[in-house]
Parts: sequence; C-alpha cells; structure tokens
Amino acid sequence: MNLPAAYGLLAHAVIFAALFALIPFGEFRTRAVLTASITALLAGIAPFLHGVFGPPSLTLLQLAILQIAGRTPSPLSYRAALGLLVFSLVFYPLALGWGPFDPYALGYQPLALLAALLPLGGLLFWRRQSLWLLILGVDLAGYAGGLFANLWDALLDPLLLLLALAVIVRRWRASGSVTR
Amino acid sequence: MNLSQGTLRWLAGALFLGALGAAAWRTPQPAALTFAPPPEARQQQLPTLFLAQNLPSTAAAPRHASLTELPDGRLAAAWLAGDDDNAGIWFSTFGRDGWRAARRIASRESTAGGTFAWSSRTARPLLHAEGSWLHLWYASHNPLGGILLNHSQSTDGGASWYKPSRLPTSPLAGSGGEPGGPPLLLADGGLLLPLAREFMTARGEWLRLAATGEVIAKQRLPAAAPASIALDAQQALAVLRAAGQDQLAGSQDGGQTWQNIAALPGLAPAAPLALRRLHSGKLLLAGQTPSGTLTLWLSDDTGLTWRVSRTLEQATDATADLAEPALLQGRDARIHLLYHGPAQQLRHAVFSEAWLNGEAP
Repeated sequence: MNLPAAYGLLAHAVIFAALFALIPFGEFRTRAVLTASITALLAGIAPFLHGVFGPPSLTLLQLAILQIAGRTPSPLSYRAALGLLVFSLVFYPLALGWGPFDPYALGYQPLALLAALLPLGGLLFWRRQSLWLLILGVDLAGYAGGLFANLWDALLDPLLLLLALAVIVRRWRASGSVTR
Repeated sequence: MNLSQGTLRWLAGALFLGALGAAAWRTPQPAALTFAPPPEARQQQLPTLFLAQNLPSTAAAPRHASLTELPDGRLAAAWLAGDDDNAGIWFSTFGRDGWRAARRIASRESTAGGTFAWSSRTARPLLHAEGSWLHLWYASHNPLGGILLNHSQSTDGGASWYKPSRLPTSPLAGSGGEPGGPPLLLADGGLLLPLAREFMTARGEWLRLAATGEVIAKQRLPAAAPASIALDAQQALAVLRAAGQDQLAGSQDGGQTWQNIAALPGLAPAAPLALRRLHSGKLLLAGQTPSGTLTLWLSDDTGLTWRVSRTLEQATDATADLAEPALLQGRDARIHLLYHGPAQQLRHAVFSEAWLNGEAP
C-alpha cells in the first residue's frame, strides 16, 4: 500500500464531500455528505481530482473536515485567505520556474522553514487562534510521519489557493452589495 | 467531551511544539553534495569491434530508449512505444543469447493503479541499475496534459516490478519534469536525477535522491540540460541548451555555478544527444547533425575540443528525429549505443574504443 497515494485519493473524496456540505440539505445532510464521498471514490471523481491537482495539503483536508462537521465560521477568514493569496502570488511563480530561486526546494530540508513557523505558532498562541495552531500542528505531524516528502505540500496546495480566492471574492461581492 | 477554550489552546500549543520538534528530527540533513568520482582513466584493451542489430519489435513508434547494465553484466533497456493513450514503457534485456522478447512494464493503467490517480498516458522512461535494485523513473501525463514523475523498481532484474509511486517535484501537480538523461551518482549512495522541465520556462533540474530513494533536495540549472556527467567529487559537465544552441558548461562546485567551456560540434538544433565519459577518460558524444546523420564525436581534453569519430546512420529525411541516442560503457569496456533507426525501429550498436579511434574492424 502506497500511503501518500492512498491519502491523496481519500482526501479528495473528503474534500468533494465537503463541497456538498455547503448545500443546505437539512436533516439529510449527513447522508448527502456520505453519498458524495462514496460517489467520489466509486465514480472516479477522486482519482480524477488526484490526477489533476495531486495530493491535497493537510491544511485543506482539515478545513474540509471542519466544514463537514458543521464548524462555522470557517477558520479560513477573509484576512487569513488574503494572507494566503498574497503569499501564494509570490511563492507559486518562483516555485514554478520564474527566476533562479526555488522556494519549493526549501521544503525538502525544511529546517529554515520550521524555524520560521515557530514565531508564527507563537503568534497564533498569543492571539488565541487555537484552531489554526491545531491545523498547523497536524500539518507538521503529517510531514514528520512521512506522508509528505516536502513540507510545502503539507501546508499548501493549489485547491487551497482557489478556496482562498473564493473566500475573498465572496467577501468583495458581499461588501459590494451592501455598498449599493 | 467539551474542552474549555483555555485547555484547547494549551493542547494545540503542545501539539504544535511536539510536531515541530518531530518534523525537525525527521528533516533530512545530507552531507554536502559530492559526486561519486568516476574510476581512474585506464587504457582500452578490447580489439576493434563493431556490431549492430535491431531491438525486438514492439508496438508502433519506439522512442526515448534508456540503457543500463545489470550486476550480472547483462544490459537492460526500457523505451516508450505506442501512441497517445496506448503508449507504454517496454523492457528487454540483452545477454549472450541476444535481446529477449520485449514486454510492457508500465502503462497508464498500471500508473493509475499504483498512484491512485487518473493518468492519461505514459512518457519518457529512465532505467538505472544500482546493486540488486533496478530503478525505473518515467513521466506520465495527468488529465490536463501536465507531466508527473513516477518511480518503480525491480529486485529481480526486471522480471517483476513494484507498483509505481509519484515523486513530488513541484507544488503544482502536472508541472513536474521528464527524466533528462542518466543519473549522476553521489558519494553518499544517493543519486542526482536530471529533469527536463518545460512548464513556464525550459530548464534543467537535478532532483537529489537519498540512498533510500527519498527526494531530499532539488537544484535548478541555468538552462535546459539534455546531458550531464560528473568528472570528480565536485566537477561536472553539462550540455546547456538555450535558444536551440548547445554549450558545454562546467561546474567546480557540485552544480551550484556554471561556466561555459566550449561550443559543441555541429549538432542539429535542439536534437537529442547523449554524453558519456569513457573508461579511458575521453568524452563521447552522440547526436544528430543538421543533415540528419547520427554522428559520434570524441574529446580528449574534457570537452574543450571535439573531433568526429564515426558516422552511423543517415536519415532519409533530414528533419526526421533519427537519433535519440542512449550511451553506456559496460564493465567489459564495450560501448553500447541505442538509437532510433531510420526504419522506425530501435537499433543497438556495440563497439570498442579502438573502433571509435578509427581502426577497421
């Protein structure tokens, strides 16, 4: 059994089910979510998403699980999404070949990255952002457990970036309609 | 059970710190990159020798051949054959009784089955024997046409293969690279796997693998690098390709910085090529000239100057991709060249350095 491959497949099934959890199914919500996750596995949706996007990050998986569990509001607030988007706008072009510096390569031997996460963890603790601290802790545990060879893959992924973009666009649209 | 906010906060803090410590403990900390020095140069003992034959025929359009030597002295070859969705990696071995019947060892189905992900087709393979392990790296395409890098291995000389797994080479699935030539051996037992990336910019990369096979580092090369070899613990040569022009570049610091050394002889623009350091210390380059001739060049001075050694085949159409050469010198000093012949078949030429030096067989 290839653990990272199995993780990628099952995580995409959970993320697909989390999309269904956004639909107001009322008392059928649990069944709808369960059906969506099984359908994603059996109908080839999860393997397709896994093929296109690769294994999702543990950050995204945990946000999906919180969504399915009905935990609102999502920890991915407007400010968190904006911060993620701004960071990604620098990270992804560099990591994909723009210029000589490759920040993704830092994730294979991530001591510098871990050192940078320490003050971030302290800040989250001080700001009483327990949920984000938990999410970050699980991300790090996933890397430490060998689920990811590169720490960036545990923290970030393109679907998470799309989710952050959706949060920002929704906020802008909402503020636009209030202004009108 | 309901946790108070305070308890949750302290639990989260403890988890974070524990996981951070575990992640730091798990982080690979390899020694500085040092190439496994190639053997000391020694003079050739083989008589003049040249033989050529076709490889066993497989599906249509064989291409991208890769060659390695097994511990028992047999050769093993892998290549891509077939069209689009039906393309697969084929494998055969060459021993005293010639080439064995080829068989398919990887396909889109086996790739999807091993990686639990949709795969649309397989692409360029790279075969490498390391002790009793036979490694196969190969590219595959995802549903959007992006390129992923996969790894499979065999412990019985290619008779059976483990299910493939995907190697993480990029933060965006589908923007990984294809194998870009034979790996460079490292002193710590690891490997540098050359990758050819086309996403955003055409660029070569070296993916550093630990002796366990885990990806532990990656470094960028200044341009696309269709061939690279190590000369000693720190020195390396690479063919760097920019705007279709090939330059031989050298590095004195394990590939951190590169300086152009010499222009390469008359190769067709962007043509596939193969570069090897022979047991004698000479460099052998195989590639296609602009007129479509598969040619071998030799260099006696580590790439500063080159002379034509032999010409092998002439394509009927100069624009045809005749060569796609793969070079190997066996432990018995015979030199093996696999290339894409004019009759849409893979050809295998075996020759000695005496033949390269112009002596008649």
